[in-house]
Amino acid sequence: MWKYIARRVLWLPVLLLAVSFVTFALGHYGPGDPVAVMMGARYDPDSAATKNLRRELGLDRPFHVQYVDYVSHFVRGDFGSSLSLHRGQPVRELIIKKMWVSAQLAFAAMLISLAGGLPLGFFIAHRQGRWHDPTTVTITLVLMSVPVMVSVPAMTWLMCLKLSWVSCSGWGGLFDLRIIVPAITMGVPGIAGLTRLMRASTLDVMGQDFIRTAQAKGLGALTIDSRHVLRNAIIPIITVLAFSLAGLIGGAFITETLMGIPGVGRLAVDAIFARDFPIIMAITLIGASAFVLANLLADLAYAVVDPRIRYS
Amino acid sequence: MRKAMFVLAVILAAVAFACGGGTEPTVEETAAEPTPPISETLAAVEEAPEQPSTDDAVTEAPPGGIFRRLWSDPPTLDPHLVTDTTSAFIVVEVFSGLVKFDTDLNLVPDIAESWEIDPSGTTYTFRLRDDATFHNGKSVTAQDFKWSIERAAAPVTASPVADTYLNDIVGAMDYIEGNADSIQGVRVVDDRTLQITVDAPKAYVLAKLTYPTAYVLDREVVESGGDNWWIENGVGTGPFKLKEYSIGERIVLERFDGFYGEHAKVDFVHMNLAGGQSMAMYENDEIDITGVGIFDLDRIQDVNEPLNSDLVVAPPDFSVFYVGFNPNFPPFDQPKFRQALNHAVDKELIATEVLSGLVVPAYGILPPGYPGFNADLDGLTFDAALAQRLVSETPYADFLTNVASDSPYYETAQAALKESPFAGSGNTPRIEVTVPGTGGTIGLDLEVVIEFWRRVLGVEVDIVQVESATYLEELDLQKYQAFYAGWQADYPDPQDFLDILFHTESSLNHMAYSNPEVDGILEEARVEHNAFSRVSLYQEAEDKLVKDAAWLPLWYSGEQFVLIKPNVKNYKLTPMIVPKMAAVVIE
Repeated sequence: MWKYIARRVLWLPVLLLAVSFVTFALGHYGPGDPVAVMMGARYDPDSAATKNLRRELGLDRPFHVQYVDYVSHFVRGDFGSSLSLHRGQPVRELIIKKMWVSAQLAFAAMLISLAGGLPLGFFIAHRQGRWHDPTTVTITLVLMSVPVMVSVPAMTWLMCLKLSWVSCSGWGGLFDLRIIVPAITMGVPGIAGLTRLMRASTLDVMGQDFIRTAQAKGLGALTIDSRHVLRNAIIPIITVLAFSLAGLIGGAFITETLMGIPGVGRLAVDAIFARDFPIIMAITLIGASAFVLANLLADLAYAVVDPRIRYS
Repeated sequence: MRKAMFVLAVILAAVAFACGGGTEPTVEETAAEPTPPISETLAAVEEAPEQPSTDDAVTEAPPGGIFRRLWSDPPTLDPHLVTDTTSAFIVVEVFSGLVKFDTDLNLVPDIAESWEIDPSGTTYTFRLRDDATFHNGKSVTAQDFKWSIERAAAPVTASPVADTYLNDIVGAMDYIEGNADSIQGVRVVDDRTLQITVDAPKAYVLAKLTYPTAYVLDREVVESGGDNWWIENGVGTGPFKLKEYSIGERIVLERFDGFYGEHAKVDFVHMNLAGGQSMAMYENDEIDITGVGIFDLDRIQDVNEPLNSDLVVAPPDFSVFYVGFNPNFPPFDQPKFRQALNHAVDKELIATEVLSGLVVPAYGILPPGYPGFNADLDGLTFDAALAQRLVSETPYADFLTNVASDSPYYETAQAALKESPFAGSGNTPRIEVTVPGTGGTIGLDLEVVIEFWRRVLGVEVDIVQVESATYLEELDLQKYQAFYAGWQADYPDPQDFLDILFHTESSLNHMAYSNPEVDGILEEARVEHNAFSRVSLYQEAEDKLVKDAAWLPLWYSGEQFVLIKPNVKNYKLTPMIVPKMAAVVIE
């Protein structure tokens, strides 16, 4: 088990190196140039201002020099400075706080998805073929299909302008009322997927021999459901959760922008358009690490939930 | 592999999101930046992104009040590096320089209380006020100005705009290029007297010195503070101090009581940076000012709407949108073909019917209200028959064979074709118009323009959309046959449009347009002393450019609609960024 974990963790630097290389090369050789973005309509590659800027930002050095320089700083925890978006400001400070905001928001949204999806899926699996089943699936699918560009203004109108329950936008952390609207708009669409997954997985478990055995033994329905069905049905959900966990730090561009939440989603998009490579690199690498670690967590969680799974 | 996919997914998702909802609200007044395509401007005439400050230390209203607005993160607040309006709006309130524009755009003294220009028109001697101090109490001297101008121009500072605003000063370009130890043309006469010498008697020198690139900074503060000296210790000379900057959250400006000029009336300006729905926040009394987007306009303009009384009309900013033609590529090598493309478009119809009157049709280059604007300019107005005849006189007459038989312009097209000596040549080059942006949709305005070309002239064009960062790079290579672009004034002088965009030698002449006659006039205008003759020269150049159809000018910005809370007085809406917050009163 420990060996397994160690092996997985040891792979992380190798993967990060590969990811960083690809991202860095894409930025360097792809179209667009942070210096052009900074100079705007006045961009002229031969002007003294452009040359000074390129030199001061270190962008006139050959690819391999820039890359090695970046990696050597990165391993020491220095993510570099922003180029075009917030010139000269340390990337680490720019993104850490924003990632934490996005993570809290995504966590709240995930709780809503789980609180809605798991019970619903479990419930309709027991009502398979009856009207509850298609009705619930349809409703959750409809909710999922409402884009945030629609749901955010609609929720804002209702909760802020009509009912005056919350401020129209802003951010105060996980325990501030203002998280309600964004968390609902981000969490509710997730209910559909979880409901369907939970329903399928519950049905699958209910059709297993050991459930029939349990029934034959005369165990009560409640005991079978709680002790046998639920515990087994939840295993596939862990995978989904792990992936969402990795997505936590990614941010949600549209919701963050519409609701005035200082998350990382908008920064990521702005950084891509401004070719602010250090910010793009940092977000990508942190995202990749989170993904790897979340996957590992999921694998470990399997072992805890399902005693048949062993890692060696 | 999975990781690589993840990277890709991140990028793709980000791009998809951006296409779905990424509109960056613009400022109601703007200064020195490439203008966004008109589609974006129309989508986002809101004031600026920002949001409420509910959890600040200063909750009990101070006597002067707090002005609250939505804003977005400035790329920098270092005056010497500022290139954009988001940053400039804040910088002009916190810092200051020798001269400034007032809210009526008159050039007025700032830290320089007076100045003299020698008879040759090249040496400016500025007398500094003796009561001007930095926010830390230090007195501002001529030495501070010399150090500041040299710091702005220094290669290590790498200011993107140093060569735009300081290039006229003798020796400045050598210094910017790293070939000199100081700027020869900036001389300290004594503590209170600064002399600036420029390379020719140029009329726009003072206008350029209003820009933050020429602002004064405290050497000690900058040198001890590192690259981001202004975040922790943004010491300036303006009417407000930078009290707090928290990235993505808020900027707080506080009145500076030691200011040499008119003291600010409000105690604080709160600018929230996180974004939000400006209109909803205004209605919920979270902010004091908001732009009105195209979708709220009908409602707000209704006199029965309570908010209607808050409505203020903001003057248009100084910008123009156009399609540039590169004469090195056929069919744009034929002036008559370019003229035909101008005459084929009914801009009045597009402005009123398609764009709800939010823009003003452009027939010239200089925007209305801008120095040198020529109200009597004889532009290339809509005339379908003339357009067709012009095309028939070029080797590309066969475009007219494509005019559909159900087009209202079919008969005249056939007639023009019959007369044409070039008919039947089959010479109809492919035309590609490059548009910046993402999402695959071009502006509604351009779509209609293309439809006019098709219906009147049978000219079919392909649209190529290029993401902005790439677009800027490729523009410079002059590789676009035709492109959609905008230009916004950096300073109020016709040189900023005509010389910079059309002179053969200008690096920003992306059309590769070259007209020796126009070049001659522009060069003459650069050094013309007499303001009146100078304007005439520029108008002559503009007239020739319009007649030669170097562009298809499309629009000037129209008026914008802004809501301001009734208890906020003296907030002046201006077409350029100028210091204005000191005058604002909250009742």
